[in-house]
Amino acid sequence: MFVQSKILLGVKGCSKSFPGVKALNRVDFDLYEREVHCVVGENGAGKSTFIKVLSGALQPDEGMIKIAGREYLNLNPALAHQLGIQTIYQEVSLAPDMTVAENIFIGNWPINRFGFVDYAKLIRESKKLMDSLKIDLDVEALVSTLNVPQKQSVQIAKAMAREAKIFILDEPTASYGTNEISNLLRLVKHCAENGVGVIYISHHLEEIFDIHDRITVLKDGNKVATHGKNEVSDKKIISEMVGRDMSKFYTRERVKIDYSKEIEFKNFSNGDTVKDVSFKVYKGEIVGFSGMVGSGRTELVRLIFGADSRVSGNVIIEGKKVNINNPKQAIKAGLALLTEDRQKYGLILEHSVEWNISSVHLSNSKGPFINEQKEAQDVHHYVDILNIITPSIKQIVKNLSGGNQQKVVLAKWLYANADVVIFDEPTRGIDIGTKEEIYKFMVQLAKKGKYIVMISSDMQEPIAMCDRVIVMRQGRIVGELNREQLTEESILAYSIGGTI
Amino acid sequence: MKRIFKQSKKIFKLIGKGNRSVVYLLGIIIVAIVIMSFLDPNFFTVRNLFNILNQQATLGIATMGVAIAMIAGCIDLTIGNLLASTAAIAALLLVAGVSEIWVILLTCIAGLVAGTLNGVIVIKTRINTFIATLGLMSVYQGVALIIPDGNNIYLKGRFANFGTYRIAGIIPIPIIYFIVITIIVYLVMRFTKFGRRLYSIGGSAEAAYLAGINLDLNKIIAYAISGLLASFASLIVISRIGQSQPAMGSAYPLEAIAATVIGGASLSGGKGTIPGIFLGVILLGLIRNSLNILHVPSFYQYVMLGVVIIVAVTLSNIEITKKL
Repeated sequence: MFVQSKILLGVKGCSKSFPGVKALNRVDFDLYEREVHCVVGENGAGKSTFIKVLSGALQPDEGMIKIAGREYLNLNPALAHQLGIQTIYQEVSLAPDMTVAENIFIGNWPINRFGFVDYAKLIRESKKLMDSLKIDLDVEALVSTLNVPQKQSVQIAKAMAREAKIFILDEPTASYGTNEISNLLRLVKHCAENGVGVIYISHHLEEIFDIHDRITVLKDGNKVATHGKNEVSDKKIISEMVGRDMSKFYTRERVKIDYSKEIEFKNFSNGDTVKDVSFKVYKGEIVGFSGMVGSGRTELVRLIFGADSRVSGNVIIEGKKVNINNPKQAIKAGLALLTEDRQKYGLILEHSVEWNISSVHLSNSKGPFINEQKEAQDVHHYVDILNIITPSIKQIVKNLSGGNQQKVVLAKWLYANADVVIFDEPTRGIDIGTKEEIYKFMVQLAKKGKYIVMISSDMQEPIAMCDRVIVMRQGRIVGELNREQLTEESILAYSIGGTI
Repeated sequence: MKRIFKQSKKIFKLIGKGNRSVVYLLGIIIVAIVIMSFLDPNFFTVRNLFNILNQQATLGIATMGVAIAMIAGCIDLTIGNLLASTAAIAALLLVAGVSEIWVILLTCIAGLVAGTLNGVIVIKTRINTFIATLGLMSVYQGVALIIPDGNNIYLKGRFANFGTYRIAGIIPIPIIYFIVITIIVYLVMRFTKFGRRLYSIGGSAEAAYLAGINLDLNKIIAYAISGLLASFASLIVISRIGQSQPAMGSAYPLEAIAATVIGGASLSGGKGTIPGIFLGVILLGLIRNSLNILHVPSFYQYVMLGVVIIVAVTLSNIEITKKL
């Protein structure tokens, strides 16, 4: 069992700012040999930035990182590697067309006296390593034939083969089943017992309580506390993760909801990341979707919109079943989807403001011809009401600010005259002024009797904006909160699987 | 000098950013014409300028099809061998005594069908369009040999007017075909929803899909048009040279893509205007004509044309990387 031993890694007063946010603020942190040190925090608490600093992908503005007795002002990926830090991401970085054994020893294959790779030895060594880690995998299998959990265990084996001292696991279990999770946890513990220090980041409290030696809580870039093993309850952890000042947040105008009219989404599944999700939205209501990043919300709305193929799922709009198998049909049924990644999916960056705003309307209205004069007129109208700041409607969208780009997306769907508007992270990466404008428009849409769905990974946003919040976790709806029940604690408790 | 600079800046603004490549090209073409006029008095004559246009007409017509596909983000390498295939069909029909109007119609239908087939194969197999049409290119090379059993088919004076008639004894008719087709394609790409959809698909297929655009259907139509235009060009070619040859048109894919890219389109799609692409075709013709007039041996012409293409595409790439 873990006893306080040698310090592998020490971080002192580490800060990192991005324009507009302080992602890390004088964070202190240490990691012992043979320890699993969990890091928790809500979306945007600074976990990712912290990992990137440790893996050398980002350089901190201030602070010190001490590894193996030496102090560093910052790291780069090569140096971090050399110092024995291995980051294992969800997106697996293995060569898919090579075998497990080749991947484990990649770049460092045993060679025979003629300078060729010694395959027999390679396979022997790999088998030995896999056995010692108790990983049940054929080392001669191609990596492309493995599933995500298996690939991750190969990554861990690879890290062990390089005698890495520090493992960083970032959300390793995001798409795992229960059995696979316990296998991974066992493997991680095993590595720790063999002298590795593990930094383990997860949204799932059960996992954390299962595996932790210590837990550090981050909030808004600050370290709140570090707790020893079994020193703390899940309630306490949640209370430490939340607690932002709501008074400065946008206050919306309330709109009367027409409960006689509704849209029903029934049994949406994609057989993987979305599992049997059903919910209703009433006319004039803003329904929020909360949950941790990767909880299946984006996948759900893409499924509803017909963008991805589904196993099951129906949409019933005001009592009428509509058939949606592709975005074209979704748009015809009156749906609009403002995607999370607006630059990739919401906009054509090289095209003008005008072309972007009119794209859905043009493509889905009757007749083969474009009336350029009317098009320009209409686009000007939306540019005006949404206050889009651009030198001209001919301006290339790429040259606009993030906030104005989002407004262009919004204008596109307003012009298409959608009844059901789905916002996926509508205010991510947008300045505060524009954020409030977008909130205002959402309320206006509700007032006009539209149905509104909003995915948000922020905790305050749904509390301020939504009439009702649905919380998702691991592809399922795990809770529904009405206005009275809406608190950061309640959302977070459902999101990470704690008790309220 | 300063005033000219200021004026040209104003004009630039007026034209807008999107059409700048048209202005650059026009500039280059004018400079080339001025230089050549000094080098050789025979260059700047009505006769020679018509000659250039006339020589580029068939390539230009086929290029319009390639351009439509490329704007939608699709490469079409089949046009050259497809052209040879439909040329063989047309020649056989003519020799068999089918009336000219029917030959024109049937040949165009053959091109349309072949283009549609190309589109369906390329799109439904989801292979990279460059590779898929590279394969199809070889298929049509075979077809162009199979149909006439490897032979040239001589028209013996039939169908000569279609490609060699001169309006008022001066303007070669292919120029008219080329210009009319360019104008139609321009109108379609600029003023129809179909055209706009192709630009959207090329700009970002994912975003276009989520905006409710049927990607497959529109791309297939683009390939169909490309096939149609290539077959129309084949009619002009056989009329002009009085025969069909299985190997003709083999340089078309390269030159058409070069002209399209020189004209401001991007290999990944979403960009390029028809007037720009028209000028791209003209510029290529101008260069070839100039090299001929300067008596550069044809072997060297290939080398120089290749260099020009690489330079032009590199320049357009520099513009892109600068923007990023």
